[in-house]
Amino acid sequence: MLSKVQLYCCDCPRELKFGKSSIVCRFVQDHFDHNISPTIGASFLTKTVPCGNELHKFLIWDTAGQERFHSLAPMYYRGSAAAVIVYDITKLDSFQTLKKWVKELKEHGPEGIVVAIAGNKNDLGDIREVPMKEAKEFAESIAAIFIETSARNAVNVEELFQKISKQIPPLENPEVDSNESFKLTQQPVASTRRCC
Amino acid sequence: MPASIINQSCKQERMGSFFKLIESFALEIGSLRKEMGKKTESEEDNGKTDHLELSEEVGGLFLRSSPCAGTGAELARVRDSGYHSLHRRLSILDRLVHTHAVWLQLGLSHQEAARILTNQPMGTFVVRRSNSLKKKVVSLRMHNDSPVCVKDFPVKESQYTFSLEGSGLSFADLFRLVAFCSISRDVLPFTLKLPEAISSAETFAQLQEVAKLGAGFWDADWNERKKRFSLLTTPHISLPPSLSQRPVSLTAVPGCPQFQTRTPAEIDCYQSNGALCFINPLFIKVHQLDGTFLTATLHNPGTPKQGVREEIRDLDTGNTEAQRSCLESPPANCSDQNQETHFIAVSKLVLQDDNSSSENYRTHSEQVVPRSPPPRPPPPNFAPQRSVSPLQQQSMPEKIPLINSFKEDLKEKEKGGGLLSWLGSSFSISTSSSPPKRVGISYPISIPSLALPRSSLSHSPYKSKTSPSNLDDAQCHLAMEDQTIEKALNRAKLHGQNVTQTSSITTRKPEDLAVGQENDRKELRLSDISTDSSGSLDFSQLPSIFNSPPDPSPPTVTDHDKLPKSPLSYDMDMEGEEDDGEEEEEEPDNDVSFESDPDQDQDVTMVPPTHRTKRRSSASALVLRKALQGQLRKMSGVFNSLMTPEKRAIRRVLELSQNKASYFGCLVHDFISYMSEGSGTQAWQVYTSGLELLQSVRQFMTQMKIYLRQSSEMELPIESLISEDQIDQVLEKAMQKCVLKPLRQVVNTALQEFQLRSGTWQQLKDNLSLAKARQPQEMGVSAALHPDPVAIEKIKLKFQVICKMYSPEKKVIRLLRICKCIYNIMQNNSGRMYGADDFLPMLTYVLAQCDMPQLDNEILYMMELLDPSQHNGEGGYYLISAYGAMTLIKNFQEEQAARVLSSETKDTLRQWHSQWQRRRHTTQCCAPSIDDFQSYLRVVLQDLSNGCTAKTLQVGPFATVEEVCCLCALKFKVADSESYGLFLQTEGSSQQLAADTYPQKIKAELHSRPQSAPFYFVFRRVDSGSTITSINDLSVTLDPQGNPNNASEHP
Repeated sequence: MLSKVQLYCCDCPRELKFGKSSIVCRFVQDHFDHNISPTIGASFLTKTVPCGNELHKFLIWDTAGQERFHSLAPMYYRGSAAAVIVYDITKLDSFQTLKKWVKELKEHGPEGIVVAIAGNKNDLGDIREVPMKEAKEFAESIAAIFIETSARNAVNVEELFQKISKQIPPLENPEVDSNESFKLTQQPVASTRRCC
Repeated sequence: MPASIINQSCKQERMGSFFKLIESFALEIGSLRKEMGKKTESEEDNGKTDHLELSEEVGGLFLRSSPCAGTGAELARVRDSGYHSLHRRLSILDRLVHTHAVWLQLGLSHQEAARILTNQPMGTFVVRRSNSLKKKVVSLRMHNDSPVCVKDFPVKESQYTFSLEGSGLSFADLFRLVAFCSISRDVLPFTLKLPEAISSAETFAQLQEVAKLGAGFWDADWNERKKRFSLLTTPHISLPPSLSQRPVSLTAVPGCPQFQTRTPAEIDCYQSNGALCFINPLFIKVHQLDGTFLTATLHNPGTPKQGVREEIRDLDTGNTEAQRSCLESPPANCSDQNQETHFIAVSKLVLQDDNSSSENYRTHSEQVVPRSPPPRPPPPNFAPQRSVSPLQQQSMPEKIPLINSFKEDLKEKEKGGGLLSWLGSSFSISTSSSPPKRVGISYPISIPSLALPRSSLSHSPYKSKTSPSNLDDAQCHLAMEDQTIEKALNRAKLHGQNVTQTSSITTRKPEDLAVGQENDRKELRLSDISTDSSGSLDFSQLPSIFNSPPDPSPPTVTDHDKLPKSPLSYDMDMEGEEDDGEEEEEEPDNDVSFESDPDQDQDVTMVPPTHRTKRRSSASALVLRKALQGQLRKMSGVFNSLMTPEKRAIRRVLELSQNKASYFGCLVHDFISYMSEGSGTQAWQVYTSGLELLQSVRQFMTQMKIYLRQSSEMELPIESLISEDQIDQVLEKAMQKCVLKPLRQVVNTALQEFQLRSGTWQQLKDNLSLAKARQPQEMGVSAALHPDPVAIEKIKLKFQVICKMYSPEKKVIRLLRICKCIYNIMQNNSGRMYGADDFLPMLTYVLAQCDMPQLDNEILYMMELLDPSQHNGEGGYYLISAYGAMTLIKNFQEEQAARVLSSETKDTLRQWHSQWQRRRHTTQCCAPSIDDFQSYLRVVLQDLSNGCTAKTLQVGPFATVEEVCCLCALKFKVADSESYGLFLQTEGSSQQLAADTYPQKIKAELHSRPQSAPFYFVFRRVDSGSTITSINDLSVTLDPQGNPNNASEHP
């Protein structure tokens, strides 16, 4: 089963952009195996995740997070099955941005889109600004998947996609499936950044 | 000269050269060649032993209905008077192709198949699709005592091949698979058996008779059938078709031309074992060692290994076909191939008595020429014989005066070897273009490679050629004089020293061969451009030059079509694909005659798409391929028909689209003429926006694809030609060719017009120049490296190439390459990966710098016309990114003020989205009915003063004649429309249509008749005396019905 995953990256301030790239890259590099077909750049990635008896193929669409590109976001989440929004647990304002994104997705996003919230930089627990509890509650309130990850240490990245995989509604017609897409909106480490 | 002498001398040579084999790899090649040589030799000498052997092989492929069909040798002798027996030997493949309606029953369930087959003898089969396996299966009637009466054997479909599960033999299509299984059981318990009526049929007419029964064949009473056939048979036996009639009758049979199968008569007129190769597995792993060896030897930077392998595969599987294919190819081809063999032979080091062998040779060819295309080329030294080859004639005259005599034979060889027919003509035009020829020829002789030391490289191929291939040796001796060998060696040395080329042809010394080969990468492609500066480059240095991104040399090429071949384009790791697009772009032009381009077919087939692009990766590959064709070309005729299922299917669709008698062709024609009315004016007058226009084109293509899949107009079910997961792709390609290609210009004009009218063109231009003035940082580009002006220039050229293509897929591929290029610049080998945050600003910056307002339309074109199934992939992603970037630029001025997506853009997106959903909808629901396509009607205005003018009108399925008349009056600007009426004009008769009838239904009805005579809708003045006939009786069979999907009617 082939699924399109769109990965939305909320933009974060420039100095923080590294966080976002790293979660994407982690996603790829950790699994630099046959599951990943080569793509020309990190903005668009594909990944195959085993889910039960099937394989889910994620097409991950990274989204530019800068404000000026905000208006283009709808083009990217169109037709997505899932969105991963990544925020930075060490930046409170990234969490605020995340909320804006969730709102936008709920209002304008595809119906039934699976939203996953990922708190990145899990390894920097000491300087955490966003309590896990708060984030978790928020996620529950919007029925989103929640997980804290560390792109640097590759913690929970795989799990994140496994979870999404399970939540994506099974599609009756395999042929239709193949066009289903997940959009992952990742709110990167920084506050203002849209997740990829 | 007696054939046996040749045979003997060949053997001697073989022995001689065999002893010279030093390296073990040469042995491998040798064995391959030996095999080929042997076959060809037998072709030459009519050796009886060979014939016996071969005819046995061949014989299996025919059902011998008559015992008088003797073995090959005898057959050959009695050939002239033996039509009677020959003509009955339809090949199994022919039988299968013509009767697929009987045995290819995809819709059958297992139960039904079992019911059908139970009454049939063991071995009878049908091919059907198993619902449980989701595969095609061969349902085979088993032994009576076997546990199951009918057993299914699944068919494995890979991208380009069909094979039985568990079998190692793959075939280009289902027919060949089944044909093979009828002869050899392979993994089956026994061979497949065609029903008696089919296997005993003696003419195509009989086969067609059987085919007409379709599935009903199985239900008809066996005996009755037999009786009918014996009746049918009688008259034909006494009237065997003459040789000359044969091909004609073949092509007249629907569905047949595509296979180009030959009747035995056709083949046997040249030699007895002709039909040898009807059935050939595409892949058998026999000569694998040879293959690897060749690949290794010939490998050089940029050479697409895949291409080589493919050739080798050809060799592997094709060697048995040498003889036949030679017969198949037209004389030009034939001699051309042989020339090629010569050329390869140049590299041989084995020397024997030249004179005697050439003597033999000549005699032999003289013998042969009169009755068929010369199977062997005349030796180069014999000028008079040269004229035998039309190809030579064509390319020779310009050259002859230029060359001194002792080089003549070299040139000769070159021509035969490297010159491909399509390259040939352009090369011979100017003197500057001759080096590529040389390249072509010399390439196989010494191939420089980075991977190996130079000296060993230039020598090893020689050694490899010293294999004991008798045939080549024979030619080698003809072609090779001591002198020549010396030259070759010289050349190799010189080459090693990186000789600088002198530009004048007349001053060229032997070394120019070497130089030529150094150039080949560029020159082959840039045939008209003098590449002096690079001409002297050592081949091995090229890659590094190409790889350094800031290539200082400006593009010397003015013709953009050639651009991708310029050195500039080699800085990407996808360079290999640069050529592909254009090749494909240009190719349709060559397609004009569908049956006559074996070359192309060979180019396109067999390699999975990903590899295929690689095949083109450099001119050297091309040369290599061409060079190898000396051997391979012989097979090409066969492979042409055997190995290009995709190509064949596309051709089939194209043919159909041009056949206005077919419903499909009619629809396509109507659509195209509707769109192009007034060279595009109609397009922008009828639609409100470019978007709408493009969407209706897309809609049309999608619907036609669905129609093709369902319709029976494709004579051979497309499922039997292409594996199922490829069908959509192939149909998409075909539709693009028959719709987008003719319409591209019109659509471009219309899009431009829309832009101009709406004022967006000016706005875009203004904003582009504004944006161009911005610094990268202002565009949001981060610290990452940004492209310098040179790189921008390169990218711009790539964009220009995009603008010239018609296929959205190919455009997108180019776009991806540009994106890749941008990534490369950003990364600058840092290994860092950049996500959208960095990439999108950079893309915006690059687009602004390129300053090409026409890209806006290009992007729109791609977005709307790209096959919707590709929207979600990588192409879709970067397309959207490009669209987004363009949108930002378009709204550059407002950007700071309002960062909202312009309403227009949102509109586009919404529509794109809905289109996407519509597609899902369409695939889910049942396919549209015929009504969906009936949006157009071609009406002729018959005017006594002006004669006839025709217009294509948009007419919905439920538009009545009355409405159509109004429309006609409007379109044709007829003042007194009341006195006009719509008439249906068929052969010799003209009926006025009643006001309440539906022209589209009438049209559909007419089309659905078995023999549709040409008909026209004529809008003309009603004669006072004419009677109004209701055509309702015509449309009796039409149900009043179905829900038309109106989308296509009102795009």
